[in-house]
Amino acid sequence: MNAPAMTQAKPTTSHVKPNALISGTFVTRDLARTRRMCEGILGLECVEPEKGMLLIRERGHRPGEKLAGQPYWVLEAREVGDIAVPQEMLNHWGVFVSSQVAVDEAYEKINAQQKEFSLGRVQKPRFRHGSYAFYFVDGDSNWWEIEYRTPDLVYTALRAKGDQVDPQAP
Amino acid sequence: MTSASLVTPDLLSHGTLECNDTPATRRFLTEFLGVDVIRPLPEAQYLSKGGPWTVVCVRVEGEQKEQGPQNRFKLAVSTPAEVDAAHAAAEQHKDSYGIRRVEPVEEKGGIRSFHLQDMNKVWWEIANVTQKYYDDAFVRGDFKQ
Repeated sequence: MNAPAMTQAKPTTSHVKPNALISGTFVTRDLARTRRMCEGILGLECVEPEKGMLLIRERGHRPGEKLAGQPYWVLEAREVGDIAVPQEMLNHWGVFVSSQVAVDEAYEKINAQQKEFSLGRVQKPRFRHGSYAFYFVDGDSNWWEIEYRTPDLVYTALRAKGDQVDPQAP
Repeated sequence: MTSASLVTPDLLSHGTLECNDTPATRRFLTEFLGVDVIRPLPEAQYLSKGGPWTVVCVRVEGEQKEQGPQNRFKLAVSTPAEVDAAHAAAEQHKDSYGIRRVEPVEEKGGIRSFHLQDMNKVWWEIANVTQKYYDDAFVRGDFKQ
């Protein structure tokens, strides 16, 4: 199960004193198309608080819903005329799903509707570093990953283990 | 819409960035930005600051991709004064941490922020934004045309 878990930010003595890594941003040439993909493919909640800007988060955080009050990460998409810096696979956004079967099902469904959602490549699922996942690219060069991780490999579990490789090693 | 979506995710889980000097990047992330970092793999560090999501920092050989400021990661600080302090620190320590650019502080709708580009050509925003800001935006819904 890849369900969100509550974790607290650690105190810091750094120059910047953040309380959250709260958001990531990207651009699109067609905000409506991006929204259709985020809602229709990825099952995310979207809102357009102002013209040309889309906020995106996982579902369940509205008052009274199961994740209400828990922290979440937000993606902010801005509509632009041109994509000045096309993205590549190593610059992607990801979602967790609950099983390996869910990854396979997602791949089949997304691959079948590639044209309907104006997607580029949809790669086949593969195992990598203990995760099972696949990538696809949207019509604005933004890459997305659908991923399953076993409970011992979700990020909160990995944080609890700490460094597994010498941080000073090149 | 949930029932109609092709995928039903548990979590919007991660983003990614590139680096080509893992120890130097970690020093910047932890000492300057105040991000929590672990290294589970030789080729990747995982960044976080609370919450179950992460940003995966992938080591690449050679030059990292030059990102634009519209593709960035945003860190929340508690007050406008902390934004200003972070900006002053970025100007003061940019050579030490390989910070390439520090943009001026701006304010919009009560949120102060600035952007910086790090040694990996990755852009960061430091802002006194809160989760309540986003909560309220989702509750208000779409703007009226």
